[in-house]
Amino acid sequence: MALDIPLHVQYIQNLGQSHDELAYHLTAHLRLNAVYWGLAALCTMGHKEALDREEMIQFVMSCWDEEAGGFGAHPDHDAHLLSTLSAIQILIMQDALDKLDIPRVVSFIVSLQQPSGVFAGDTFGEIDTRFLACGSMALSLLGHLDKMNKEKAVEYIQRCKNFDGGFGSCVGAESHSAQVFVCVAALAILDRLDVVDTDTLSWWLSERQQPSGGLNGRPQKLEDVCYSFWVLSALSILNKLDYIDSDKLTAFILSAQDPEGGGIADRPGNMVDVFHTHFGVAGLSLLGYPNLQDLDPVYCMPADLITRMGLRKGWKALPRRTTTI
Amino acid sequence: MHGIKRTRLTQEDIQAKKQREQTKITEYLALTEQVLSRKKHKDWSEDALGLTSKLLQVNPEFYTVWNYRRNILLQGLFPRGTPEQNNQLLVVELTMTMGALKSHPKVYWIWNHRRWCLENIPNGPGEAQEDGADGWKKSAWDKDLFVVEQMLDVDSRNFHAWNYRRYILSNMPKPRPEKTELTYTKQKILSNFSNFSAWHQRSKVLSSLWASGKLGESKSKENEFKLIRDAMYTDPHDQSVWMYHRWLVGNDISQEVLEREIETIQELLAEQPDSKWCLESLVHYKRMQLKNHKEKVDTQVLTGECQRFLAHLGELDPMRSRRYEKIASQLNTI
Repeated sequence: MALDIPLHVQYIQNLGQSHDELAYHLTAHLRLNAVYWGLAALCTMGHKEALDREEMIQFVMSCWDEEAGGFGAHPDHDAHLLSTLSAIQILIMQDALDKLDIPRVVSFIVSLQQPSGVFAGDTFGEIDTRFLACGSMALSLLGHLDKMNKEKAVEYIQRCKNFDGGFGSCVGAESHSAQVFVCVAALAILDRLDVVDTDTLSWWLSERQQPSGGLNGRPQKLEDVCYSFWVLSALSILNKLDYIDSDKLTAFILSAQDPEGGGIADRPGNMVDVFHTHFGVAGLSLLGYPNLQDLDPVYCMPADLITRMGLRKGWKALPRRTTTI
Repeated sequence: MHGIKRTRLTQEDIQAKKQREQTKITEYLALTEQVLSRKKHKDWSEDALGLTSKLLQVNPEFYTVWNYRRNILLQGLFPRGTPEQNNQLLVVELTMTMGALKSHPKVYWIWNHRRWCLENIPNGPGEAQEDGADGWKKSAWDKDLFVVEQMLDVDSRNFHAWNYRRYILSNMPKPRPEKTELTYTKQKILSNFSNFSAWHQRSKVLSSLWASGKLGESKSKENEFKLIRDAMYTDPHDQSVWMYHRWLVGNDISQEVLEREIETIQELLAEQPDSKWCLESLVHYKRMQLKNHKEKVDTQVLTGECQRFLAHLGELDPMRSRRYEKIASQLNTI
């Protein structure tokens, strides 16, 4: 099975039209993230124009939380770091950063860094290495990385490092592929990849590949398409992408497509969603799948854009193939 | 969306589903509108709290509403209440989120809200300095430890629950002796050797006990080697066990122990000649010998063995063959 780009583009275009489905409304708290996933997937598939630019920018700006100085996931939802990063990523991909009150949003992000170095997601203070990565990523994209305490952030990530080479969501937590991605990406942004025990971590990451070809998030867990990105991004940042079988993984991701309605699911035969569609396509791009655009694994955004911004780090994806075999 | 089977619906089914959902959507949107509008007007009343309960019951992922709920308590209800009443409010919060957690055990916001509740339990019922001055706190934190352990009985790999449990253990007003954690993790491990979350936790607890001197490292390490040996023999295909073994061996183990562990694995390999994990571990430990104890070993023999094992691994585990080739190519440079 090949990647059905036209069908996935159509699937993403239709997402905004599903107001008559309950699930659409129950996921409003993820709307801005979903717009980022959709746009990033379209960019990777070379169809950025499939969603209306003006409408998208207008929606992003309608999520601005004036009181907090950040973005919520939906109009009238509270500002949160997760949605604020999505907003920044979208505005940059749409070349619309002029719409943003950069000093305010920078001060919102910086205010979330805790004395320990980690970031909270919002003013109520839930901490997670995810938020540390979101904060570093957002500040770096805005050219204000020097506003955060980089040493403390690195120190916190170091404290989250486990004997298996991986990283957890907070001090003491078990290694998890998604947390490995956020910690490795943050370390790449902070130019401190020396913190990573590359041999041990790339071993652990390579062991995520299951007999089906898919990747899992932790030992003895089920494979899932979204780990194609979490694991592959970390491996490509460590320049160890050849430690997994790319043909088998490619086949696994492709087999999770919905050949009728479009989109990609977590596993073959399951319901699709935009999250897995984006991370499946992102994984395929890193694996050199033909006719896709290069994706930057650190920022999970178009590689040429990140290169133009002067933010490209020393990662390596597999060379882009010209045929599907 | 995770683990939901795709079903093919006919156009008729889709229309019928949409029809059924229409009323629900209307009700949900009306309730959302009501709650968000009260939030905008800083309505910190009990009535508003009730509406948030209703909304969160339908959608526990609605983080803005959890935030609003905490603000209702902080701005509206706490300042008016006695410590006793406020404690009672938080007990209700904890009961409500327990129900939510049982049906949504992986929703970050619910776990997060419980943390906030625990941290806001007032002092009492006793007077300051008296026994029972933190009685409410003790009882809430103890109860939550019980709740989270029940959650881990249902899903022993839920990392939210493990994180929350660690959070409770390190913040509860009357901490439990750290050593009790050895009993807990052992019990979890014995009921399932593949529970890497429990092995992970055990490694953290032991590291801490050794560092603080509360437990003698060498004797306790020996006990762990015994435990892990049983596990290896029970299921040699289980990577959790081998990962823990690698942690136990560490980087600065004595030549004698390293030698002994290599021998044990070699015996197991004789029984299970195609055991990937035996081969993988032997390569790792033999490379360690080459690196750390070069003067005591026959370099050529060891290198040859490693080459042979790596070639075998490449055949057994072709998905990772490039990694094995890379290690083989580095062997001569150790």
